[in-house]
Amino acid sequence: MQSIRDTILRYVRVRRYSEPWLSNGGGNVLNRLSRQMCASSVTSPDQIMGRVIGLVKKFDKIDASKVTERADFQKDLSLDSLDRVELVMAFEEEFSIEIPEEKVDKLTCCADVAKYIASEAEEKLVKS
Amino acid sequence: MSGAVSTAGYLARRAAQKERVRILYRRALKETLNWAVHRHLFYKDADDLRVRFEANKHVEDLDTIDRLIDVAEASYNKWRHPDPYIVPWAPGGSKFCRNPPPPAGIEILYNYGKEDND
Repeated sequence: MQSIRDTILRYVRVRRYSEPWLSNGGGNVLNRLSRQMCASSVTSPDQIMGRVIGLVKKFDKIDASKVTERADFQKDLSLDSLDRVELVMAFEEEFSIEIPEEKVDKLTCCADVAKYIASEAEEKLVKS
Repeated sequence: MSGAVSTAGYLARRAAQKERVRILYRRALKETLNWAVHRHLFYKDADDLRVRFEANKHVEDLDTIDRLIDVAEASYNKWRHPDPYIVPWAPGGSKFCRNPPPPAGIEILYNYGKEDND
């Protein structure tokens, strides 16, 4: 039983919210809670940016010290087109979204990606 | 003049091929993830896929490249997964169109009737 539990836990990634959302502002809490419950990937733009940059730094073909918000994937981080495809797939998995093929070409730096994910999240929030 | 035209034609064809390869790689990578039941199996398959793409990286002849892409697309189509993974809230996903937006004029209050006490 223990081993089954360990195996499951190894595959389930627990997502931590670094923002202390329970501690600030009384009336705000329920609002935020319901927001987090109905849309798991909606977070503040800073958090999205932090997660994007963390992910890019972890990508093994990139020199982590060169990663900045505006560093171009192709020119500054010396990725080829296939590496960029892999990176986009990593973003899709991290944020559980689907990025259409024609949009992929326009995502050239971390700021672009964060902006795109934030706009997607906003759209979803407006729709639901 | 004709030299310039043929160069432009060459570049256009080259760009189209790059686009095709990029889209093919993206789809094939997703397909690989569909076929892999565990993450650690996927990493190896993805590396193999990358090696297969890298093997023809330095091919220069346009017609050869076209033929290679055709072969690769045929093999991609042959190995399409019958039940691919879809992100839950994307079209076709299990959460797609669940919780539709309420009709206009109806507002949801999330403070659960506590508004009088504040």
